[in-house]
Amino acid sequence: MTAILEGRNIVKTFTTRRGGQKHEVRAVGDVTVAADRGEIVGLVGESGCGKTTFSRILIGIETASSGTVLHDGKPVATKADWKALRRDVQYVFQDPYTSLCPTMRIGEALAEPLLVHGIGDKSERAERVREALSLVGLQGFIADRLPSQLSGGQRQRVSLARALMIRPRVLICDEIVSGLDVSVQAQVLTLLTELQASLGLSLIFISHDLRVIRYLCDRVVVMYRGEIVEQGPVERVFGAPESDYTRGLLAAIPDHSRRGEPRLGLRPAGHEGARLA
Amino acid sequence: MSADPALRFEHVTIAFPGAEGPLKVVNDVSFAVGSGQCLVIVGESGSGKSMACQALLGIVPAPGAVSGQGIFWEGRDLLKSSARDWMKVRGAEIAMVFQDPAAALNPLMPVGRQIVDVVRAHRSVTRAEAERRAIEVLNQVGFPEPERRMRAYPIELSGGLRQRVAIALALACGPKLIVADEATTNLDVSIQAQIIGLLRSLKEELGISIVFVTHDLGLAPEIGDEVLVMYAGHAVERGPVREVLDRPSHPYTIGLLNSAPTLESSRAHPLKPIPGQVPALDEIGAGAPFRSRCPVVVSGRCDSAKPDWTACGGGHFVACHRFAQDGIGGVQ
Repeated sequence: MTAILEGRNIVKTFTTRRGGQKHEVRAVGDVTVAADRGEIVGLVGESGCGKTTFSRILIGIETASSGTVLHDGKPVATKADWKALRRDVQYVFQDPYTSLCPTMRIGEALAEPLLVHGIGDKSERAERVREALSLVGLQGFIADRLPSQLSGGQRQRVSLARALMIRPRVLICDEIVSGLDVSVQAQVLTLLTELQASLGLSLIFISHDLRVIRYLCDRVVVMYRGEIVEQGPVERVFGAPESDYTRGLLAAIPDHSRRGEPRLGLRPAGHEGARLA
Repeated sequence: MSADPALRFEHVTIAFPGAEGPLKVVNDVSFAVGSGQCLVIVGESGSGKSMACQALLGIVPAPGAVSGQGIFWEGRDLLKSSARDWMKVRGAEIAMVFQDPAAALNPLMPVGRQIVDVVRAHRSVTRAEAERRAIEVLNQVGFPEPERRMRAYPIELSGGLRQRVAIALALACGPKLIVADEATTNLDVSIQAQIIGLLRSLKEELGISIVFVTHDLGLAPEIGDEVLVMYAGHAVERGPVREVLDRPSHPYTIGLLNSAPTLESSRAHPLKPIPGQVPALDEIGAGAPFRSRCPVVVSGRCDSAKPDWTACGGGHFVACHRFAQDGIGGVQ
């Protein structure tokens, strides 16, 4: 089966200057990840592992130093290719406070992607806005509100609704539940699984929280310092991790369901350098 | 809890003026922390957990008013303290570690100097002595090469190292109680584990008491002896950590545990989110704070009276009408 979206052998280097010297930082080094139809792929890793940079390359916000993005198996090369890709792939950002325009009413913000892609007339757009709001479990009157009048959970639902407006086949979600309270996070995760099942969406879900990845994803890709250290079905990676890094990451997770086993970082050996009198 | 707790927070209310009367962001909350013990306060946004912490340091922002039976610290009532007395306690006996070390540290000053300043504010020592103390506490928190790297500015340090500096700053005057407000929230899991390990060793080896505030119940068994669950300004459940996690007895605590994915969860066993959202403080009124989202409301009770504490055994208490009426079977 051809993947809907694939980043193949993606490399990204940034150049920084420090004290007049040029330094090359390899943020992503030869990473290949593909998402099939209806599949939820998790990208997990700690700050600076390159997961966000890689996902931004997939949608063209960032340009790869080398490597190819493939859309339905065909390399994305021209401006028209990118436009077609963005018609199919939408990106949901971590922070709905900064990704929604503070002076634009929710209804306008939701209709904007339709205007950009030239979809529908005024009444059709209004209808699609109502549909999208109900899809994410919000009432119609929300359309008249400003982002500042909504709670964090409502705002993240609006961001999701906005990404769904043009009926994409793939959603890239970058840490979209990390800023939310646990009970709101559960509501958004439940919504994502419902949307995935009813719309057959594919998700590329980026998170540093392995508990969320374990719950939501079919397949997981573990990244460290710009490279993939392990990938596979979640049951396998979480049940029998092959790399030491994944094992360390799993051992570092606080988990109220786990009994008696100390976390890796809590063992004296993992508690780097603390010297107590 | 030890027989003579170092800190007793007794029936404390923190109110802000609202359009229709005072809004109680902390409503008649009590807790105690024994010396060398750690109390974990768990709650979501708006639960009042951070405000309770601020009351412990006398830094509740105006026009908030703190009232109640008292905040007893080693026998003294801090609620009756003058601003001058507070200055002696704050930073010296009770110190705070904030959520965001980038915001808690002065960006224009090397980190070592910030510790030196704190030491000299509380103790009459020379700069050289204060510097030795800074190096000592940086060593204690596992800050590498403190003699050299204490000259670094906060921006030159990683998030984990910045949080170590923030903890060193709190340790500088040898406090007996550290209040950590979401101190590990924005850190990567491996760094989070290190910081929790560090706090735990401070507790176990130096006998420092800790109030550890978090929204993540999963962290409670890592560091806590006791846990207090807060919802919308109210304390709803408290007890030894393992008791509360093994036999959660308040519908909110149960809902919170069912909402949190664990390493064993998968889509085959869907999460059970708590429906609805936290009510506005002026909507709570006289009844049980969780009633608008509660699956097991006792009609005629929950909307008219605040539940009292009911003992669940093993030092574990819950404030719930349903539990008081039907026991654990009624809430599950």
